[in-house]
Amino acid sequence: MSERSIDVDLTRSSSGRVVKERIYKWLLFACAALTVFVTAAIIYTLATDAIAFFMTEDASVTGFFTGTEWIARSDGGTFGVWPLVTATLTITFVSALVAVPTGVAAAVYLSEYASDRMRSILKPSLEILAGIPTVVYGYLALVYLTPALQWIGIPVSTFNLLSASVMVGIMIIPMVSSLSEDAMSSVPDSLRQAGYGMGATKYEVSTGVVIPAAISGIFSSFILALSRAIGETMIVVMAAGLRPRMFNFTNPLDNLLSSGQPMTAGMVSAVTSDATGGSATYLSMFALGLTLFVITFVMNLASDYVASRYQEEYQ
Amino acid sequence: MATDQQTGTWYGTGEAVSRVRGQAFKTLCLSATLLALLSVFVLLLYVANDAFQPLSADTGWLLVTIGTVVVPSLAAVGYYYTRDTRAGETATIALGLPIVSLLLTGGVFITFEHVVSVYQWLSILVSLAVAGGIVYAHSRVRTEADLERLVVVVAVPALALWFIPKLILSLPMLPTQSIALLGSFVVPVAVVVGLFVRRQRENDRDGVIAAVLTLVGAAAGFGVAPVVGITPFVWMLLVTVTAVPVSLYVESVIRRGAGVSGLAFPLIVVGGIVASAVLTDTLGFAGPTPWLDWGFLTNVPSRTPEDAGFYPPLVGSVMMLLIIIISAFPVGVGAALYLEEYAPQRGRWGRLVDLIEVNIGNLAGVPSVVYGVLGLALFIRAGGLGSGTALVGGFTVGLLILPIVIISSQEAISAVPDSMRQASYGMGATKWQTTRNVVLPEALPGIMTGNILAMGRAIGETAPLLIIGAPAVVRIAPNSFTNKFSAMPRQIYTWSGEIDAAFRHGVLAAGVVTLLVVLLLMNGAAILIRNKYQRRE
Repeated sequence: MSERSIDVDLTRSSSGRVVKERIYKWLLFACAALTVFVTAAIIYTLATDAIAFFMTEDASVTGFFTGTEWIARSDGGTFGVWPLVTATLTITFVSALVAVPTGVAAAVYLSEYASDRMRSILKPSLEILAGIPTVVYGYLALVYLTPALQWIGIPVSTFNLLSASVMVGIMIIPMVSSLSEDAMSSVPDSLRQAGYGMGATKYEVSTGVVIPAAISGIFSSFILALSRAIGETMIVVMAAGLRPRMFNFTNPLDNLLSSGQPMTAGMVSAVTSDATGGSATYLSMFALGLTLFVITFVMNLASDYVASRYQEEYQ
Repeated sequence: MATDQQTGTWYGTGEAVSRVRGQAFKTLCLSATLLALLSVFVLLLYVANDAFQPLSADTGWLLVTIGTVVVPSLAAVGYYYTRDTRAGETATIALGLPIVSLLLTGGVFITFEHVVSVYQWLSILVSLAVAGGIVYAHSRVRTEADLERLVVVVAVPALALWFIPKLILSLPMLPTQSIALLGSFVVPVAVVVGLFVRRQRENDRDGVIAAVLTLVGAAAGFGVAPVVGITPFVWMLLVTVTAVPVSLYVESVIRRGAGVSGLAFPLIVVGGIVASAVLTDTLGFAGPTPWLDWGFLTNVPSRTPEDAGFYPPLVGSVMMLLIIIISAFPVGVGAALYLEEYAPQRGRWGRLVDLIEVNIGNLAGVPSVVYGVLGLALFIRAGGLGSGTALVGGFTVGLLILPIVIISSQEAISAVPDSMRQASYGMGATKWQTTRNVVLPEALPGIMTGNILAMGRAIGETAPLLIIGAPAVVRIAPNSFTNKFSAMPRQIYTWSGEIDAAFRHGVLAAGVVTLLVVLLLMNGAAILIRNKYQRRE
């Protein structure tokens, strides 16, 4: 560089440079603000079309939230959301039964017991599980798990909620285990040492000290994982079927063995049954989407709240 | 602590009982971990078995293959694992790098074949070069006109991109495709390689040698490629995208002199495969008839399972990824830069920024199917783009992975030590100069890792594609971003509706294995970048 340019840099007015700095700052701010726009766009588009749905003659707000029958044809139908909601809740409940104990046990092992070498193998393997696309899990449930269940004598139909929920459960295990493990590893070692100093065994320290100390993080991982299970689409579309059925309260186990249609599957079947758009069935997708969005959004906020509100500060 | 003694619950009473209980608890936790892993891996083994059908081969074929490929490879792995872990690392990369670069070569080939033709690429490059020249000349002639330069920087490239490609494409005489590729792709790659080597070795001569070698190796394709039976076009891509990174790596290992024996591993594997092919051929053993073979990757979908192929969805996935790379990644990294470098901590703006951060965290948890609805409403119904096109698919999935890109980029940026920023400010650099010249280069490996992982997420997303109306079957590979497209997972979902066992246990398994292999390679590349970067610190 010549001396001339140095001279110029020191003496000239810097207005151009200031403007340039501002432009870059605002450009970057626009990128960050885009995320707020995305949220607003989700709420706006879902809400306007959900309102359009409730304005159609086939649907009403009370009918939607209290009805127990969901018949979606391309020229209209009956839209009561409970068959879909109960199917979603069933899947969420059973998948939690699978994922919560397994995930927490895996987290305890990884954080308290595993040697460095063991951890260096197990953690990446769990990360790989978390990276498998859900369409692959759906395929595994449909083509391998359901026949396997039939083979061991459980009378499930080709499409059933049981194998879908077990697969959803397996899918969210890595989420529970990695978030819970983060919470457990952030428990300071001094607490463990204090436990050992009192003569506690490793088991007593793990269950009596580490888990209670990390409980807020563990609970927030449950909430996040369950919100993931509620929003899961491909597994339930492929393995649970697309036929809505109201929850059978007289024989709860029967619900697991036969097919059902959760909310996400209802959205997919609504959009694929009527690609042109405009009918009540097509618009019902937006009402379902709004319900789903509100549920998962509230759950994510609750998870944040639990994690921060009940977190003890260790310093 | 008298009260403690009074309650009388000292830990450690009944030692034998607590030891058994502790062991049982530990075993329980371990078995839960293994159960979670094995349940999926066993199912994936079944899938691999269905895709490759190894049991359909002759026993002799299996024995020969085990003898020539499996046993030597396992022996080598055992040696590396017990004796020489450093060489084991080299072996992993030496085997993985060629495979990843071959995958990349396929991606580049598909891009040139279906997305931008070589001539379009050449014209874009020429216009950018002209624009760059003008901007540079302007900065030399009018050094002090900062505001004027802002206008020039925006306007000149836009004008150049608007006019020059049309001019070039309307020329009556265009060079052949291969020569155009040599000029527009090989030469830039050779220059980059030369600069890279020069920086690594701090030696001008080595840089020139590397660049010239790349150029000569690629140009040799005009003579050699027809002899080997491929077109010069493919040869040049193979040299620039596969051979160059591999030879750079091999050279660096040999020069470092650590773990050199790991380089033998790919030779053992490839040699074993060649030996097995020759032996089984001469002995007359029939190999397996896998569902996943070259035909599957290059055919179009079909009603008959034997002819069914995966090519259009492969092209569709590549196109979608290109859109995401162009749209979501810059925005995501920009947002992360703002939040980490510029965002005020306090005051009204600080609260707004807090809100943005919470919002990003929540967006990461919104179900993918809702993003599909957003894409449908925003891009198709409001934006007027065609339903089921690659453009809409890329934008929609791009929005979906935006929070992931932002969060992982933020982590990478905040890991840059503050002392580097202070040093840059101390030299009189402005905020943007610091961000561009110090923070961004330092955080780049971390950002790339996060972005590749996000791409892995994007490539497997299905639900949004269903909602935006990606067609069930695409029989002709899309040739532009506004064509209807299908991606790999979309095609897998279509096939899952077939009841025929040949589809369920054959074609479908082959598709799933292809998708998983692509994902595994991408994640592996990301992890390698991360490890290399972490060690340097």
